[in-house]
Amino acid sequence: MRDRPSGFGNPWLQLALSVVCVLASELLLKRGATQVADPNSAWSWIGINGLESPLVWWAILLIVLSFASWLYVLKYIPLTIAFPLSRVVDVLVPICCWIFLGEIISVRRWCGVALVIIGLALVAKPVARLEEKL
Amino acid sequence: MTLFALALILLALFTFVAGQIFLKHAMESTGQQNFEKSGVAVRLSVGVFLMTISFFITLGLLQRFDLSKLYPFQGLSVVIISFIAATVLKETLTLRLMIGAILITSGVVLVSMS
Repeated sequence: MRDRPSGFGNPWLQLALSVVCVLASELLLKRGATQVADPNSAWSWIGINGLESPLVWWAILLIVLSFASWLYVLKYIPLTIAFPLSRVVDVLVPICCWIFLGEIISVRRWCGVALVIIGLALVAKPVARLEEKL
Repeated sequence: MTLFALALILLALFTFVAGQIFLKHAMESTGQQNFEKSGVAVRLSVGVFLMTISFFITLGLLQRFDLSKLYPFQGLSVVIISFIAATVLKETLTLRLMIGAILITSGVVLVSMS
């Protein structure tokens, strides 16, 4: 790992930023895609008609932002660490649905969330130790 | 889910993984001294192209299937990317990282299937 800038240029901050943008874009994409769903059209197999929905365009904007910070992250953090950590989004989505949308989460789903968190902790711990040394 | 849909899901997964590897390869080479700008631009473009394909296939699939059917496959990308980054990009993959990646993948599959 090469020398890392601090402040806004801190790659870990950028990783978090990237995750937040992905989180919001996933929700927008699903809503947008459903809004304009037209399974009868052959074109819809490649999803191009999704562009009719403004929500999809907002999602695209967020994806571009997350992409920019993700590229920045890749400059500094190995993929074997950065990519698994970026999947924190997979526990944030159900948790956000539970907190903000009042959705019910099954026991099995909570078990999955727990597994992901343990996995994230395993990946993140050596990183935390590495950062302390710097 | 038809065989055709499954093929599309796998294609979306494959293009996504390959795209990530290209991007990482491109960004990493910007750190070396006297790096070739054209080489970086080509790798970045290939990466973006692959991820664009993956994006539109996924959008098409989302119109037909529940996210809960599609998401378990996205979870697989963690294990696949870690493995390919280690073999192709020669990143260090410790036992700890491997177990972490496997736990994350199985967690994602559990979360999305229930």
